[in-house]
Amino acid sequence: MADQQLGMIPGQGCAIARFADALLRSVGGAQVTLRLSDPATGDTGSQLGLEAPTAEDMQVSPAVIKALAPEADGRRRIEVVLSATSLRAIAKNYGVEDVAAWLLSMQGVLQYGGVMRIASVTVDEFHGKECLYHLTATE
Amino acid sequence: MQPTKDSFYVALRDRLVATDPSRTVTLDGATRPAIAVMENEPPSGAPLLCDTFYLHWGNARPASAPPANLMTIDCTVSYCTKGSVQNGSLDRGRDLAALDNDLLAICSPPQTPKNDYSSGSPVALGSTIFWTQPVLNAAKNTPPYVGREITITVFFYPEVNQS
Repeated sequence: MADQQLGMIPGQGCAIARFADALLRSVGGAQVTLRLSDPATGDTGSQLGLEAPTAEDMQVSPAVIKALAPEADGRRRIEVVLSATSLRAIAKNYGVEDVAAWLLSMQGVLQYGGVMRIASVTVDEFHGKECLYHLTATE
Repeated sequence: MQPTKDSFYVALRDRLVATDPSRTVTLDGATRPAIAVMENEPPSGAPLLCDTFYLHWGNARPASAPPANLMTIDCTVSYCTKGSVQNGSLDRGRDLAALDNDLLAICSPPQTPKNDYSSGSPVALGSTIFWTQPVLNAAKNTPPYVGREITITVFFYPEVNQS
């Protein structure tokens, strides 16, 4: 009843985002490396798969990496939980608005000495503020 | 076989530019004609885009008994649309018809010279590839999306010393 009278407290979403970051740090605060393809040239060579796309690696922290049950064929799977605060700051530099779609378009997560393809992205949002990104990546 | 796949794609792409120059898509940060070969695109978890023709290469087999060496390879063309937001997706059938029209237009005439693109620029191989006319089978309706998967059989002679 009191909540209904007061409505949403301004900045409450920011507080929850900070809490999520603190939670990630408290469980290890790992750093993950995401591999991002540079824009394609769009010419015939790139359309025919003749030109390997250049890529850059970016480190994101705090993060938590959790091993998931492997695929039926034995390929390893992981879940990566990323701080929305950190990720949005990086995405802003690239002029990205839709971070989830941006993550799905990346080459993947560097783990186990290779690039694991990002298969799905889910977003935890509280009070209109994105707090955590959950990536599922597969070998 | 690769020159066949490349020549087929380039022919359809160039015809799409001529037929419907406004049908473009932004893939990997580059704006290009709205047609792509799945196996040439970066592997990612991103969903396929609407209003774009995706080519998937399938089975290859001899088209005739030896000693003739004519071969075939299947190409599935998939595309879908969800209409426009301002029309509440009610125009998705019309958009699908426009895609159908574009597909029929770019597949005709059903032949093109075969070129080797491995060096980056086309090198004529002195032969022609040809293909069956697309048959528009029943549309797949998965609201708000509607789309089709069409299989075209491409005929070609394998080149000596060509992959």
